[in-house]
Amino acid sequence: MAAFEPVLSRNWNNPDILSVKTYESKGGYVGSRKALTTMSPDNVVDLVKASELRGRGGAGFPTGLKWSFLPKDRKETFMCINGDESEPATFNNRYLVEKDPHQFIEGILIGCYATKANTAYVYLRFEYIKAIQILEKAIAEARVAGHLGKNIYGSGFDLEIWCHRGAGAYICGEETGLIESLEGKRGWPRIKPPFPAIEGAFRKPTVVNNIETLACVPHIIERGADWFKSMGTPKSYGPKLYTISGQVNRQVCVELPLGVTTNELLEDHGGGVWKGRKAKAAVPGGISMGLLKKEEFDIPLDFEEIRKTGCLGLGTAAVTIMDDQTRIIDYLYNTTRFFAHESCGQCTPCREGTGWLYKTVSRIRNGGGRTEDLDLMSHLANNMGITPGTTICGLADGAAWPIKNALAKYREELEDFIKHNQNPAYKITAGQDAISRGKSPLASNTSMFVPGIGLAKSLTN
Amino acid sequence: MATIIIDGQNYDLPEGAKFNAIQAARHFGIEIPYYCWHPALSVVANCRMCEIEVGSKDASGEIKMLPRLTPGCQTPVRDGTVLVTDSVKVLEHRKNIMELLLINHPLDCPVCDQAGECGLQDYSYSHGRAEHRFVEERNVKPRKEVSDLIVLNTDRCIMCTRCVRFTREITGTAELQVMRRGDHGEIAIFPDHPLDNPLAGNVVDLCPVGALLDKDFLHNQRVWFLSKHDTICTGCSTGCNISSEENAGKVWRHKPRHNPYVNDYWICDEGRYGYKSANAPDLLAGSYILDGGDHHGATSDRFFKRLNEDLTHRILDKQSVLAIFSPFLSVEEAFSAASWVKHLTNRNTMALGPVSVLGQDQTYSPDKLTGRSGDTSFLVPRPFTISAEKSPNKAGVSFVINHFQGSNVVSFEDALKLVPSNPIVIVFGGSPNSDWITPEQSAEIRKAERVILFDTTINVLADAADYVAGMATFAEKAGSYVNRDNRLQHFDAALPLRDGVWTLLDILAILRGVGRSPIESRTILAEAAEKILALAKAVGGQVPEFGLNLTGQDALIPDAGFQDDWTMASLAKA
Ligand SMILES: Cc1cc2nc3c(=O)[nH]c(=O)nc-3n(C[C@H](O)[C@H](O)[C@H](O)COP(=O)(O)O)c2cc1C
Ligand code: SF4
Ligand code: SF4
Ligand code: SF4
Ligand code: FES
Repeated sequence: MAAFEPVLSRNWNNPDILSVKTYESKGGYVGSRKALTTMSPDNVVDLVKASELRGRGGAGFPTGLKWSFLPKDRKETFMCINGDESEPATFNNRYLVEKDPHQFIEGILIGCYATKANTAYVYLRFEYIKAIQILEKAIAEARVAGHLGKNIYGSGFDLEIWCHRGAGAYICGEETGLIESLEGKRGWPRIKPPFPAIEGAFRKPTVVNNIETLACVPHIIERGADWFKSMGTPKSYGPKLYTISGQVNRQVCVELPLGVTTNELLEDHGGGVWKGRKAKAAVPGGISMGLLKKEEFDIPLDFEEIRKTGCLGLGTAAVTIMDDQTRIIDYLYNTTRFFAHESCGQCTPCREGTGWLYKTVSRIRNGGGRTEDLDLMSHLANNMGITPGTTICGLADGAAWPIKNALAKYREELEDFIKHNQNPAYKITAGQDAISRGKSPLASNTSMFVPGIGLAKSLTN
Repeated sequence: MATIIIDGQNYDLPEGAKFNAIQAARHFGIEIPYYCWHPALSVVANCRMCEIEVGSKDASGEIKMLPRLTPGCQTPVRDGTVLVTDSVKVLEHRKNIMELLLINHPLDCPVCDQAGECGLQDYSYSHGRAEHRFVEERNVKPRKEVSDLIVLNTDRCIMCTRCVRFTREITGTAELQVMRRGDHGEIAIFPDHPLDNPLAGNVVDLCPVGALLDKDFLHNQRVWFLSKHDTICTGCSTGCNISSEENAGKVWRHKPRHNPYVNDYWICDEGRYGYKSANAPDLLAGSYILDGGDHHGATSDRFFKRLNEDLTHRILDKQSVLAIFSPFLSVEEAFSAASWVKHLTNRNTMALGPVSVLGQDQTYSPDKLTGRSGDTSFLVPRPFTISAEKSPNKAGVSFVINHFQGSNVVSFEDALKLVPSNPIVIVFGGSPNSDWITPEQSAEIRKAERVILFDTTINVLADAADYVAGMATFAEKAGSYVNRDNRLQHFDAALPLRDGVWTLLDILAILRGVGRSPIESRTILAEAAEKILALAKAVGGQVPEFGLNLTGQDALIPDAGFQDDWTMASLAKA
């Protein structure tokens, strides 16, 4: 196999690439011209299908397949590009926009041509002010240069791109939360079906794709599906931007074929663990995905293999390394705090469960833990998310996975922590303890909990 | 014919039904508990209470189940749909949801108005778990005044968003919204934009818990002391179906009852608070005769005797009668009254009024799109109208008068002009408003030689009439009204009759000499149905649950009759 040649990041060292002229001179907008002038939209969809490109936004859904779900007889289609990028430690989308905006615009253009979308909305994370400025300038230049607007390249295809800045909510990265937010509503994910392909933005057929997903498309058009599939591992093809952060010497975003291992990333690109320490664990692709033990660092980080470790998936391929002095309880504290803060609050299991988990982990961390708290956490985690079918969106799964993985992989450490970290100030009272075990201090065989008639009933029994 | 399987049993779906799993199960007597779903609102599936196991049976008879739980509210049923509502997995899930809904809940049922009709109480009892495992601090949330009439206890809220959806999807006024995220989320109004649309009170009924409460009712009664009576609102000619809820001789509140042909699930605030006149302190409390410029209380025996003698004498003198019928009379009252007038003399004129019309009809026409946030595929949007005509039975009384005097019903205004040619004026009142007649109109009527008034309130005409008989108020009588769409609807009495007061039906029976035993309104309606063509459908005085469409055929509504009522929902299974 030939040495890997980066494509997505090939221009990142060239600051001039922000100008449309430079991008064109480096072979830019060749793919889009080829697609729009020599291929039909269906040809493009078929080619992307053949490349087996899978979405880079987290779920890894096959992109060509997603595009083919659009109703054949649709009159209007919207393309929403997901640049909310709020998954902690993830910044590959930001690099793609800030360092090579025209590559991204070219990807949008081809994606929209393939899906017959004449309007594209780029939904960017609230904090990405610089990225928005760069992108808006690039869009303006691209229009002047004829890559956007009416009758692009004489193909009869029109496209306008609009930038929309989020307001700082993680949930607006979930595709239907994004659509609601885009429509000017509260970013509450919608129930599916209907899926966005059938009824999305403004109740019209809509495609939601990640920035990196679309950035791959021009290269597939130019170089073909076989080229794309020459990289990666089975069912996980193509180049991928990995970010590496946490307790490493170098925090970077690197482009590699799908399926590198955590070890390779850490040693070859992250410069090893900081302060000369050893690694303990890693978050494989944003904290929603769970936890990898050091022993699992040689598992390929792709869409399939990673799941065998019990992790939720590849996620955003944002790898965060924890050194051997990191406590799992601190890791749990950070993750539960994040999800309790970011749960949109619609679904009962997620709204209440994330808050409950955060409070319980905080109490344990403060020295008020009981071993059975771990069973409670496990029960809560196992019953929230779209995996058990109890929530609308996957945020709850992301909130559950760190708990599940930590309990499966580090239960002993957590039990040990509880045993050796007891602080009377945070201990729950005997009464609370009794109630939580189904024993009321007032009545021997009943509960205080069933309100109203339940209580009345229990007292008359 | 579409067949579905629920808990291993085959059921045939009714023709044309577009049910979700909750509706289908309920149709066959099986309960799937729910909170956020409401039959008139879009489906958002956020409470997760209604989750069941869902599958399908293919042509070969093989059943494939989805691996995960699925909300019943979001699940369409069609031929071959398989629902499992009683598996361990489902029952455990309900327990989990109940536990989660209560971890941050104050559980202050003893001081909560909702207690006794609370979705949390009912489902805790029927679907909850006896212990709770939550030992952390509960979140504390504020109490908010969202309007002059409604208070919001955000700490009791379960974030089902029914209230929010109502203001967006039904009234289109969007006063309510969610603010903040996660378990810190709260329902809120925008500053200085209170929840004050004409239908606002419905959010109190929609709220499954004690979060949105009616300040008018607050801490007045425990709901389990209330007796509920199925009645019809008299506020306007829409004829909303309501439950009039009473204890200790007083009506304490009006709640809507579902009728898909009339008011769907709603009532307007005017009707909601219209109960107050039933408890008014200054009602006519007996019978009075004007003697020497003063009204004197009379026993009923004396009153009827004097009145009969006076009238007989005058009728023999060939004096003619002008009879004025209020649109607040029931069909039965109007029929009995007209029969009596006719029985007195053929020299009579029958008039109807006054009919008060205020402004314009106000119609809310929800559709499947406007303001809707969730899935609307199960929805059959139905309009709701607040009528400008502020009385319940103009149509019914007109039918009666038409029958007795040919087609010309004399208006109240024209009737006043006929006073000089009619020495006897008999007014059959019934309006709950004492200002139904102005002093000028009263003076006009007083010009007659004899003025006889049957009414409920103390008003200017009562001050002037020769004979005044207090009669049952709208809340004390049973009967039927015909609404603006010619729908005849039956209503029960909500309150027992006050001492010294009779129902108009009994009064008229005595005057006609028919007898002294209490008269059943259904007997009179049966008689009216035999005689009056327009009422012919009310055979035997029988009126079905949703009323009788007198002039047309009702469209079939497969989901009709789905009461959104927590207490019933939990009792159905018990
Ligand atoms: C809670 C949550 C947050 C998400 N955040 C993002 C995000 O920030 N960016 C993104 O591209 N996808 C995000 N996703 C995934 C999107 O829902 C969706 O799958 C993706 O944008 C589809 O694009 P792709 O097929 O190109 O990957 C998120 C999903 C969930 C459940
Ligand atoms: S799972 Fe959580 S974040 Fe997702 S819709 Fe439900 S409450 Fe909101
Ligand atoms: S809302 Fe229901 S459970 Fe809560 S305090 Fe009121 S009655 Fe009790
Ligand atoms: S106030 Fe009541 S109706 Fe509104 S969201 Fe809360 S519980 Fe639901
Ligand atoms: S009723 Fe179905 S999720 Fe709330």
